[in-house]
Parts: sequence; C-alpha cells; structure tokens
Amino acid sequence: MTIFHFALKRSFGNRANLLFLTLFPIACIFLPSGEGWPFLPYGYQYFGIFILFASIRLAAIMLEDRAKGVVKRLAVAPVSHLRYISQNLLAYLCIMVVQCAVVVIGGLLYGQQLYQPAWLMLLYISFSAASLAVALAWISLYRNKEISFLVFMPIVFLVAILGGIMMPVDIFPEGLRRLAVVFPTYWLAKGLDWIAFGESIGPFLLVNGVLWLYAVVFVIMGSARKIE
Amino acid sequence: MRVLATIPFTLLRMVRSYIVLLLLLAMPILLLTVFAFILKGAVTETGEPYLYQTAITMVLTFQLFGGSIVMSYIQTDFFSEFRARIFALPFNRTMYAFSIMMCGTVYSILMGLILMAYTQFVLGVAWTNWLWAIYILSLMSILSSVVYLIITFAVKSFKTAERLSVLYGVSFVTLAGLFFPMPDNAFFRFMGSYGNPLALSVEAVLNMSRSNSGGAWFQANLLLAVTVVLFALMLLVGRRRMA
Amino acid sequence: MTAIASMQGVLKRYGPQVALDYIDLDIGEGEIVGLLGPNGAGKTTLIQVMTGMKPFEQGKVTLFGSSGNPFSYANKEKLGLVTQEITVFEELTARESLLFFAGVYGLKGKEKKNRVEEALAFVGLEEHAGKTPNKFSGGMKRRLNIACALTHRPRLLIMDEPTVGIDPQSRIHILESVKRLRENGTSILYTTHYMEEVQAIASRVVIMDQGQVIKEGTAEQLIQTIQHEEKVRIDVSDPDKVPVVSLLNIAGVKKADLSGSRITVVSAAGSGNLDRILSVVKAHTGVLGIQQDKPNLEDVFLTLTGKRLRDKEEEQ
Repeated sequence: MTIFHFALKRSFGNRANLLFLTLFPIACIFLPSGEGWPFLPYGYQYFGIFILFASIRLAAIMLEDRAKGVVKRLAVAPVSHLRYISQNLLAYLCIMVVQCAVVVIGGLLYGQQLYQPAWLMLLYISFSAASLAVALAWISLYRNKEISFLVFMPIVFLVAILGGIMMPVDIFPEGLRRLAVVFPTYWLAKGLDWIAFGESIGPFLLVNGVLWLYAVVFVIMGSARKIE
Repeated sequence: MRVLATIPFTLLRMVRSYIVLLLLLAMPILLLTVFAFILKGAVTETGEPYLYQTAITMVLTFQLFGGSIVMSYIQTDFFSEFRARIFALPFNRTMYAFSIMMCGTVYSILMGLILMAYTQFVLGVAWTNWLWAIYILSLMSILSSVVYLIITFAVKSFKTAERLSVLYGVSFVTLAGLFFPMPDNAFFRFMGSYGNPLALSVEAVLNMSRSNSGGAWFQANLLLAVTVVLFALMLLVGRRRMA
Repeated sequence: MTAIASMQGVLKRYGPQVALDYIDLDIGEGEIVGLLGPNGAGKTTLIQVMTGMKPFEQGKVTLFGSSGNPFSYANKEKLGLVTQEITVFEELTARESLLFFAGVYGLKGKEKKNRVEEALAFVGLEEHAGKTPNKFSGGMKRRLNIACALTHRPRLLIMDEPTVGIDPQSRIHILESVKRLRENGTSILYTTHYMEEVQAIASRVVIMDQGQVIKEGTAEQLIQTIQHEEKVRIDVSDPDKVPVVSLLNIAGVKKADLSGSRITVVSAAGSGNLDRILSVVKAHTGVLGIQQDKPNLEDVFLTLTGKRLRDKEEEQ
C-alpha cells in the first residue's frame, strides 16, 4: 500500500491543502440554520460544495504526476494502472471520510439539528466517492493543474445551483427540474431532504445507490487516460 | 510614448486569454441565464422582478474578481523571468505597469458592459440608468484592480497572492449575505453594508433606480473614497516592491 | 579596440554572499566575448548588473562610452538582451511579439514592419510568424527569444545561455546567426557553459568562477597556457614494421606506444614535430589514418579552477 501511504502524505504535505482541508469543515459546523429552507443548517447544505472542491484539490495530485512524468516511471514499474488509481482514490476517500466525520460529530457536539446523523454521514461518504470520481474524470481532460482547477470552479457553482444545493429544485421550471436529475448534487440534495423528513429507507438507498453508480461510471471514464 | 505603443498588444494578450473569458464572461452569462429561468415571472413585494436585483448583484460580483486580470499580467511582466527583458527596455516601467492596470480595468469594465447588455437585451432586465450603472461598474473594476495589486505587491509568493485575492472576493460576497444570512450584530451589519464594496455598489445602483439619488451618491462616494485611499496605498507598496 | 561596454571593479553582494567580486570586464567594438563559467559563477548576475536590472555596491559600469547614466533610454536603445529563460508573449503570435518590442524601441510605420520581417527572416521564422509560441518547438521558441532582441539592430547584444535545452540542429542555427550578427557589426556578450559553443564563435573568451574573472584571452591563448603535451594517434597498415625506437629519437617525443595497428606518440607542447614523425612512419609502413588530440577550453577551465582550489588549500 505504498501508493496509498504516500498519497496521504502528499495530500497533507501542501500547506494550502492542509489549511483548506481542516478549516473549511470546521467552519461548516458553525454556519447558521435557515428559515424554512434549507432544512439542515447552511454548513451541512453547502458541505457538498466543499466536498467537490476538496475532491479536485486531492485528485489534482494525480494530474501533477501525469504532467511531471511520474506516471511514466510508474508505467515501467511493477505497479498496475488500476493499483495506482485505486490506492490514490482510496487515500483521498479516507481523507474525505475524516472530513465528513469531523463535520457530523462536530455538529452533534455543537448542538446543530442534524435529524439522522448516521445516515447523514453515509450520504456524505457516498457523495464524496462520487465527487472523487468526477474529479478523476475531470483531471483526465487536462495537463495543467491550475487550469483544471480554474475551469472546475465555475462548474461546481453551476452544478450546485442546478442540482438544488443552493436553492430548492421545486422552484425551478419544469425543464430545469428534469435537467437537475443528471447532476450528482441533485441526489445529494434529495438525500439531505430525506435526512430531514424521510421515513422509509428505500428512497435513501436509491440516492446512495445512484451516487455510487456515478462513482463507478466516472472512475471508469477517468481511468482511461494513463500516461500522457 | 513608447508605452502607448504597447497598449494594443497588452489588450490583445488579455482578450486572447480564454480562461478569463470563461470565468468572467461565459460563467456569469450561464449563471444569469439559469437564474433567469428560475426566477421567471417572480416579483418582490414592490413589484420589482427578482431577476433585476439578481442581475445587478451578479454583474457587480464578477467585477470583484476582475482585478485578477491585472494581477496576472503584472506578475508575469514584473515578477517572473520576464522581468529581465522588461528592465532592459528603453521605457518607463512605472508607466508600463499603469498601462497594464488601465488595460485590465477597461477590459473588466467591457465584460461588465457585455453582461449588462446581455441581461437587458436577452433576458429582459431593464437597467433604469445605464450611465450610473457604468460609473458604479467602473468604480468596482478600479477598486478590484487596486486591491489585487496591493495583494500582489505585499505578498512575495504569487500563489499566496492569488489565494488571498480569491478570499477577498468570496469574503465580501459571503458578508453581503448572498450565500447564507450573517449574524445580526453591529460588525456583520457594517460588513454587509457600508463596509462591503459589493453591497455599496449594488445599493448605489438600486437607489438610483428607485430615484433615491442622495443615497446612491453617498454610497458611490464612499466607494470612490475607499478606491482613492487604496490607490495611494498601492502606489506606496508598489514602489517598494518594484525597487 | 574601443570598449563598447565595460565593468570596472564591480562589487555585487547578496547579503553576505559576494556574487561579483570587484570584477573587470570589457567588451570591444565588433567582438564576440564568450563568458564561460559553471552554474553559480555569477554570469547572470553580471548581465543583470550590466543591464541595470540589479544595483551594485561598488565599481563602475560604462555603456557605449557615455559618461552619464549608463542605463539611460538612449543606451538601452542600443542594447539587446536575450534572456536565459524563454521570455516571449504566449498569447501573441511571433510577428506580434516582435511588433511589440519594435514599438518599444521607437520604431514606427513601414520601418517597424520591415525590421520585424528582417528579424523573423534572420532567425528563420518567417513561415511561422503568424503562430503563437505554444505551437513552436523548443528550438523555435529560442529563436523567437533571440529575434525579440534584434528588431532595433542593437550595437551590443547580450545573450544569456541562448541555447539551453534545444536540439543540436537548432543550436547550430543559432550559432550561425550569432556569427552573422557579428559580421553585421554587432558586439556580443555570449554566456554559456558549453565550451564548444564558445570555441566555435568567440573572438575572446573570459573564464569566470565564484564572481571573479579567472582568465581571459582568445581560445588558442587560453589553451596554450595549459598545453603541456601533444598526442597523435596513427593507424598503420603494417604494425610489425613500425620503428618505435626511431620515433623515440625524434626531438620532443616523450613516448611512443604501439597497440594493435595504432601508434600513439606523445610529444612536448610546441615541439612542431608532427611532420618528422609522419615521415619516419611512412618510410616503413602505410598510414591509414591520423588523429591529433589537442586540449580544449573544457580542459582549460578544469585545469584553472582545479589548480586554484588546490592553491587555496596549500595556502591554508
């Protein structure tokens, strides 16, 4: 698990990353609750946006490997491409799980109304997996880390708005409501609504299933690009 | 005079940067279009379309980040390996820096104008006072350029400067209460109004459209005063850094 | 020869570290001065001081014989700088980049356009003038980097390692261009750590290390200072008939070895006995090939800097 170990080290080796990955989840705990909407406190509603940004920052480490030619070295080493991708993603997922735990447990200790914290944790983990996969697919399109991040930023906001993270999908016109289904953020928003109001487990399992499906599909897409 | 000869090329360099066009033109157009769909027909208690205030806020919000254009080219020409070439040229470097600042600011204003035109002619938003809106837009653009340059000159690492400048923009957007409501205390009320360039500029445009010219001029003059003070600071910090 | 640029007793420090140690350097009108030195010798600092980019603590810099400010606009108009890093505008085409610099140097109208086309032709980029540098190879970028310093026909061109990281073909093209510039009357300060470049183009070589000029002269003069012996290798058709003893009797010959069908004869420097050696060998056997080893500037540098280090240790 050398790659896994070093992926963890490298993720926190960058001071900016360290600050980003520690301060933002903590900040999310203290954001206020909304009146009427969102149903969870703002920090928990917007945590998905943080997860998307964190995912691209972490996945960009692999982009750096490709840009600097490190992947070429690995290509001639006894390390399969699958092992390289999977160990990196596993390391990043572990980091995201810790972030999710900090936010959920921190919220409980702070006294935020989280309704069903255990299911919330599961939802965030599922969304983290999908985000990491999306980030992997995204970086496979680029050679330059900075440009990939710059272009990803507005996409995140767009996807957050269209998916119903920043405003309820119910107020959208019919066309946009149908379009929203395509985005992973829609399913996160649906999951958050279930956390607040849901009863039967079926819809929640569907949400998580779709998010993991996104994860699988985007990982396959993102794994296609290997060396150049 | 030699510096004047560089202006067309500086503008060309800026216009050809697709990232800038994507982030400061394409992205707001997309967001505005989405909001136009979402807020279609929705009006406030006073009968004003929600889209009107959203459009003003969005156009002025992106001006907060317009300084990144100036920051990027000043960094390239004066603080990267390009510096050696610039130093060997027979022209006034300070004037060249100003020309970059002017070009970047004008370019940012131009993109703001395009957004205004898009909202008016495509999305049907009625900007009641174009001249006033352009004036406020220009003030925001100049302020953004000045702030970004202060950060560039004050901080040695460009990466840190970039992050601080994004923090500047995102902070004022957040403090204006656009993402979530701010706590109701004196500090946050101030930072959400008179202490916030975005809030000042939006209110200045809205006040003028509501025939409250006194309030509009007050907010605009505050913005102008802050810009003038920060401009002087920028000169001081810039002189030290360039030496 | 009139000095077009000179540095006298220039001291430049970075904190406690001395980058230029009371350095003296002249560049004569119409000459190519090759500045040789390893990384960290102070070559780039010297250039930065000479172009006014960095201040210096002591000494004097004179450009184009002017008594006033050496870094005035009038002087900068006659100076061209080719930077070590590729400093061209990524967003502008090659032609646009050159138009930018031509404009800064005060060129206008038709003259500006003509000079730009002239610079493009000089570096062989006429066909690529409408493309941006991201479409160029490394060698083409380096050539554009040079062209940006040529539109105003500088009297003095400073080239800071202009061939770093490019293919041999592009390097040869650049070296040929440098020679042509000199023929056109441009004086050139050419810094590099490639000995063969300096040997190929420089009329005078300055060897620099640790902020000091260690030695200067023509390449031949510098080689002469360390040349102790000459070695010639002769391939023969009939090695059994080679008269090794006769060769040893020739004035200046120190050693003669036969290995297979090759004779290696080592003589003292300046013996001038090659003809005598060849006539002796040819009298006994057929000569298939001759190879003469001569020291080069690399040997000069290694000898000079190696000796200095040993001298310092002995002094201590």
